[in-house]
Amino acid sequence: MAESHAIEGSKLTRQFGGFFALKGVDLAVKRGEIRGLIGPNGAGKSTLIDVLSGRAEHRSGTVRMFGTDISAMTAQQRRHAGLARSFQRTNIFPDLTVIDQLDIASRAAEMPNIDEIMAELNLTALAFRRAANISYGDQRRLDLALALIGRPKILLLDEPAAGLSIGESLELAHILKDLAARWGVTVLLVEHDMEVVFSICDRITVLHLGAILAEGTPDQIRGVPEVVTAYLGSSV
Amino acid sequence: MTGIVTTDPIVSRAPPPRHALALASAIGAIACGALLAATIQSSLMMTLVTQAIITAILATGVGFLIRQNGVVSFGHAAFYGIACYTIALALKLGVMRVEFAILLALALPTALAFLLGLVIIRIPGVAFSMLTLAVGQAFYEFAMKARHVTGGEDGFSVSLPPAILGIPTAWFQNPHSMFVVSWSVLVLIIFGLALIAASPFGRLTVAIRENEERARFIGYRTTLPRVLVLTLSAFVTAIAGVLFTLYNTFVSPDVLHWTLSGSALIMAIIGGPRLIWGPALGAIIFFFTKDIAGDVTEHWQGIIGVILIVVMLVIPSGLGGTLAALWQRRFGHG
Amino acid sequence: MLVQILNGLVYGGLLYIVSVGLVLIFGLRRIVNFAHGSLFMLGAYVGFSVAAMGGFWGALLAAAIVLALVGALLDIAILQPLQREDPIVTVLVTFGLLLILEDFAQFVWGKDFLKSPVPTMFSGSVLIFGESFPVYRLVVIAVAALVALGLSVWLRLSKIGLYVRASSADPLTTAMQGVNTDRVSVIVVALGAALAGISGTISAPLLALSPSMGSYILIESFIVVVVGGLGSFAGAFIAAIVIGQVHNLGLVYVPWAATMIPFLLMVGVLIWRPTGIAGSHV
Repeated sequence: MAESHAIEGSKLTRQFGGFFALKGVDLAVKRGEIRGLIGPNGAGKSTLIDVLSGRAEHRSGTVRMFGTDISAMTAQQRRHAGLARSFQRTNIFPDLTVIDQLDIASRAAEMPNIDEIMAELNLTALAFRRAANISYGDQRRLDLALALIGRPKILLLDEPAAGLSIGESLELAHILKDLAARWGVTVLLVEHDMEVVFSICDRITVLHLGAILAEGTPDQIRGVPEVVTAYLGSSV
Repeated sequence: MTGIVTTDPIVSRAPPPRHALALASAIGAIACGALLAATIQSSLMMTLVTQAIITAILATGVGFLIRQNGVVSFGHAAFYGIACYTIALALKLGVMRVEFAILLALALPTALAFLLGLVIIRIPGVAFSMLTLAVGQAFYEFAMKARHVTGGEDGFSVSLPPAILGIPTAWFQNPHSMFVVSWSVLVLIIFGLALIAASPFGRLTVAIRENEERARFIGYRTTLPRVLVLTLSAFVTAIAGVLFTLYNTFVSPDVLHWTLSGSALIMAIIGGPRLIWGPALGAIIFFFTKDIAGDVTEHWQGIIGVILIVVMLVIPSGLGGTLAALWQRRFGHG
Repeated sequence: MLVQILNGLVYGGLLYIVSVGLVLIFGLRRIVNFAHGSLFMLGAYVGFSVAAMGGFWGALLAAAIVLALVGALLDIAILQPLQREDPIVTVLVTFGLLLILEDFAQFVWGKDFLKSPVPTMFSGSVLIFGESFPVYRLVVIAVAALVALGLSVWLRLSKIGLYVRASSADPLTTAMQGVNTDRVSVIVVALGAALAGISGTISAPLLALSPSMGSYILIESFIVVVVGGLGSFAGAFIAAIVIGQVHNLGLVYVPWAATMIPFLLMVGVLIWRPTGIAGSHV
């Protein structure tokens, strides 16, 4: 058998009443890969991240991490196993200072690389500021920093660039690609900003109505007519 | 978000010198207390102050729960009252020495809070308040009904031995000496809670209070820390109950009634639960206002209701919070 | 035995009418009114005062109208301005209101217990399977049943009822439907207050009136609402009936522990199902 995938979901299904948010999705991301996950609103991207990270329960299917079935693990156990995530809406601890919340996160990850993380994400100057009082762009990087503490093996990111300016988005993308390469982090990235996705992802999966519509390298995805008409439009 | 738990930065990685400063102010505060007791001659005044300080410890317990867990308890009289009844009953039945009775009186409410916490701590916000009110009142009902053990509504006197741990028991009933004891205990509790609040555990619970889900996703179990905060808060409350029993040598179901929980909560809110010492300040203000208002009007309860509403709407960080903010503006930096 | 069950129904019915006001407000706003028991208490006193001149029906009508007005005022002056705050702020402010209303009742009606006579038209007893049962208690059961029935019809058929049910199931989606929430809220809170008032009036002949009677019923109705599952009408109905029964059977068979039973039941239910019998979300 070939080397197991970093994160692998097989036949994942989640439904609300009669509505299927995910219908038997198969997704396998190789070690060290940056995988983009795109699709229109309601395609099931966030649901997939939620299922993989243990935030939402799935009805059927399994989640494997480096070959081990983690379907029954809680979110907190998955984090200890090396699976970290960020959230669509900024999800930090507003009343704590930047350094305090990174300190808390590093204690859980049992790896005190706070200074390293703050330096990489340009947060050092803000260390003693209260998170509620720093700019939105800084909060987004703090959010990412909370996920990156302890150098997780796998990082699931739900629209990390949402609400950022073009310049900020690309800067964030650059930091992310750089760190992923140096620390060997496997990344699954949900993002609406196509420029970010196409510039840093090794492969891209397109979700539509809870199922996979296409999967391939950025160039291959650009060439799939259904994807272009249904989602990308003529801009890419 | 509510102003009572989130307005200003309350947590920071305190560099070591601040611990020394806190310790120095704790020692200074205890010395001031002793000095105050030596200065004030009026027994009546000291009785009031001592009562206020014991209740301030109760309010500190209630306030700590608000500060660290962001939930409001209407049932802390249960922990207080159980401590009172434990000593009183243990001595009445003559089953153990008073020293052990005191230890048991501290242990029982603490253990109860831990077990109860495992069941109710995940219940958020308003439902937690409703539940604590109901659970707290259950113990009151029990004390009222179990007449053959508790003496029911009338309560009973506690027969203390002449000395506790070698200290003459009379000292605990003399308002002057008891003031010094209670005040020192209060100061030490506030000092201890401040250390805990500044510790990784304290910061973690604030993080859970702020964003429970994210705390889970950075790898924490979020139930146990909150249960431990409740347990600690109940322990502090039990200390107040023990002091009350030694001082008053009488217990009745009043010590379990929800109006006591409600008063402690009001004190915490008036003083400002964001600060560890806020609730204690609130308790002292509460007692003196009550004493003054009680002379001129019968509508103390209505007045305190109005004060509570005004504080909630106008200065949600409480008087302590307002004072601290003024202090910061005047002398603070950054 | 049947008489005991009927007695349990009397208490359960009263509890349901009080609790449903809490459920209505929680469903709409996700807040809890700690002064709700005081509305029950005011209803009892208003009914008591009016009954002397206006008779039973007059008292019931007066209590319903006065309390509906109080409820509307409560919503406009307190609940609406606070709707963007943390729900805990509303808890504390309504707790302050509870203290004020108790003080007010003490000022107007005095501290001492008052006893309201059973209305003459419902005095006496009937024989049920050979056991005598007060007519007035049957009336209370009938009123509770009518309220429960009327309310569920209203919730099912009226536009506001539909909105309230949708909102208690999913507040976020419902908020986007373009209904005038403030108007709905005034009506709902006024209705909840009026029900508390009616419940206070009809229970006046069964209980002793005192300013603190409100806190007792508040705690009992909290147990009902929590056991039933916050925001659930069906859950509150079942919980109220069950608690009415166990409370009453407890009084008969284990009088020394009777007041503890609802609390134990609550803790038991919460261990079994942390969100209550019918609860999903909190």
